[in-house]
Amino acid sequence: MAGRAVLRCGLAAALFLAGPLAQSQQPAAPAKLPLCTACHGPQGNSQVPTTPSLAGQPKLFVENQLVLIREGLRQIPEMKGLMDGVSDAEIVELANYFAAQRMVATATGTPDAAKFQRGKALAGAAHCGSCHLPDYSGRQQIPRLAGQHEKFLLEAMKQFRDHPGPGRDTIMAASLYGLKDNDLADLAHYLAHYR
Amino acid sequence: MKFKLACTSLALVLAGCAQTPSQPVVSDVAKPLPANVPAWQQGRSQDLAASPLAPHAARLTAVPAAEIPLNALKLPPGFKIELWAAGMPGIRAMTRTDSGKIYAGTRGIGRVYEITDSGAQRTSRVLVDKLTQPAVTYHNGALYVAAIDKVLRYEGIDRDPNVQPADLTARFNLPPEQHHNWKFIKFGPDGKLYVPFGAPCNICVPGEPYAQIRRYNADGSNMEVVARGVRNTQGFDWHPVTKEMWFTDHGRDWMGDDSPEDELNRMSRAGQNYGFPFCHANGVADRDVRKGNPCDGVTLPVVTTGPHAATMGIHFYTGTMFPAEYRNVAFVARKGSWNRTKKFGYDVVTIRTDASGGNARIEPFITGFLDTQKDAFWGRPVYMLQLPDGSLLLSDEQMGAIYRVSYGR
Repeated sequence: MAGRAVLRCGLAAALFLAGPLAQSQQPAAPAKLPLCTACHGPQGNSQVPTTPSLAGQPKLFVENQLVLIREGLRQIPEMKGLMDGVSDAEIVELANYFAAQRMVATATGTPDAAKFQRGKALAGAAHCGSCHLPDYSGRQQIPRLAGQHEKFLLEAMKQFRDHPGPGRDTIMAASLYGLKDNDLADLAHYLAHYR
Repeated sequence: MKFKLACTSLALVLAGCAQTPSQPVVSDVAKPLPANVPAWQQGRSQDLAASPLAPHAARLTAVPAAEIPLNALKLPPGFKIELWAAGMPGIRAMTRTDSGKIYAGTRGIGRVYEITDSGAQRTSRVLVDKLTQPAVTYHNGALYVAAIDKVLRYEGIDRDPNVQPADLTARFNLPPEQHHNWKFIKFGPDGKLYVPFGAPCNICVPGEPYAQIRRYNADGSNMEVVARGVRNTQGFDWHPVTKEMWFTDHGRDWMGDDSPEDELNRMSRAGQNYGFPFCHANGVADRDVRKGNPCDGVTLPVVTTGPHAATMGIHFYTGTMFPAEYRNVAFVARKGSWNRTKKFGYDVVTIRTDASGGNARIEPFITGFLDTQKDAFWGRPVYMLQLPDGSLLLSDEQMGAIYRVSYGR
């Protein structure tokens, strides 16, 4: 039932967004795309719970993270060396492409009601929505959280909290300071199931 | 309704106090981090908790020259602005060597750029990267690079562009906090290197190493604190006649759209206090960190430079290309607001005063980075550098570009 509702919702959104104009403006697949989709999935919808979906992420967020990763300021072991020689123009192409894709929410089951409510309260107290926007769709340099892989969200928040090193946003480290692992798990559950 | 009532009763309680306390009173919102609150949100009262205002995104990819809408800019009659160099994401303060090379620092992207002018065109390369918010200045044949956790000196870089730097970090006693600690560095007429250490918060009682400007000998020795109570200065220059240091300072956030304003200060002698955290702008008492007579002993600014304007570089014009009335006039870049409902700044202004800072008059010089109708910006002007011919370079952090302003007779 819930699955069908999601499908219908998604379809309506797709119909609404994909008018003739939007369709003609869909960016072509960039040359470097296979570099990304090998792990981040077709159209950037990741099939791997620890790998984030890039579909529907704000353009500037994708651009800036790819630059930081290429420059070695943000270190992701799985991506080490992968961005070597990828130009700024190619990064902009990739970001344009992913921003134009539709994110398919990964959590399709019914959320755990108690966990969801706890996560909702924590997100309110930490003002997550003031930067990530109240629907957690992200904007500019700030990523979309709604519908992202729950496992990835949890690991990313632990990284922000425990290793605020180079390339890690000091604002995020400060936002999550003092939250326990189970708090982060509640937050991740809430955000992954947010519609 | 309930909220209004609470406010009224609070005002009554405050008015009823026989005496303001002599010990600082710090309200909950200004208590030190960490308190599960982002650094830039700290000092935000409950009524602003749902505000969607957030710092604007920096752009870290190179912007092609064709995408820079330079013709949107407006200058006084006779002045011309052109694109001088592009493709340097995050570019901030610039410095010029004896041979005419330009070096420039950045913030998040961690690079120092080297720009070579062949006359007809400019090319750039990255001199050094992976630094934490590096700033640059050139002095006596050496390029100084100051990051939050590192100081490097490239001796004789004009002769050998690939010279390895000497690491002077250990001599500078750099505190670790990153927030508001990005640098602007410059040598004064006294041959000393001036380095700011901002307050690591929006509003708080900062610890000793913060909210101050220091100066060092060129080798990092003999550190002195020359100014305190400085929240976040982003630029300084020395007055061509009086040789006094003038510096910009950012006002705090989350106290409303229109107050406290940024400051342009004048340092008539070392050791003055500029008010943070108790006294802002031209005598505005802080709401969250309070004490009796908060502005006592505070050197107030020459002029305030607008609410949340993000006042950056200042440059006193000493060239002969511009008309004579621009001589010794301060050019000040305002990067533009984020913590304000309607955007403010995003321009370069001139500030005319008498030599001691009296009768200040602010006038727009370059506008058009902000579309006031749409309340949207495309560029963020940050620092100026005067070339030997008297033209002015202006860096744009958002576009990763340098513009050249000239006057055509």
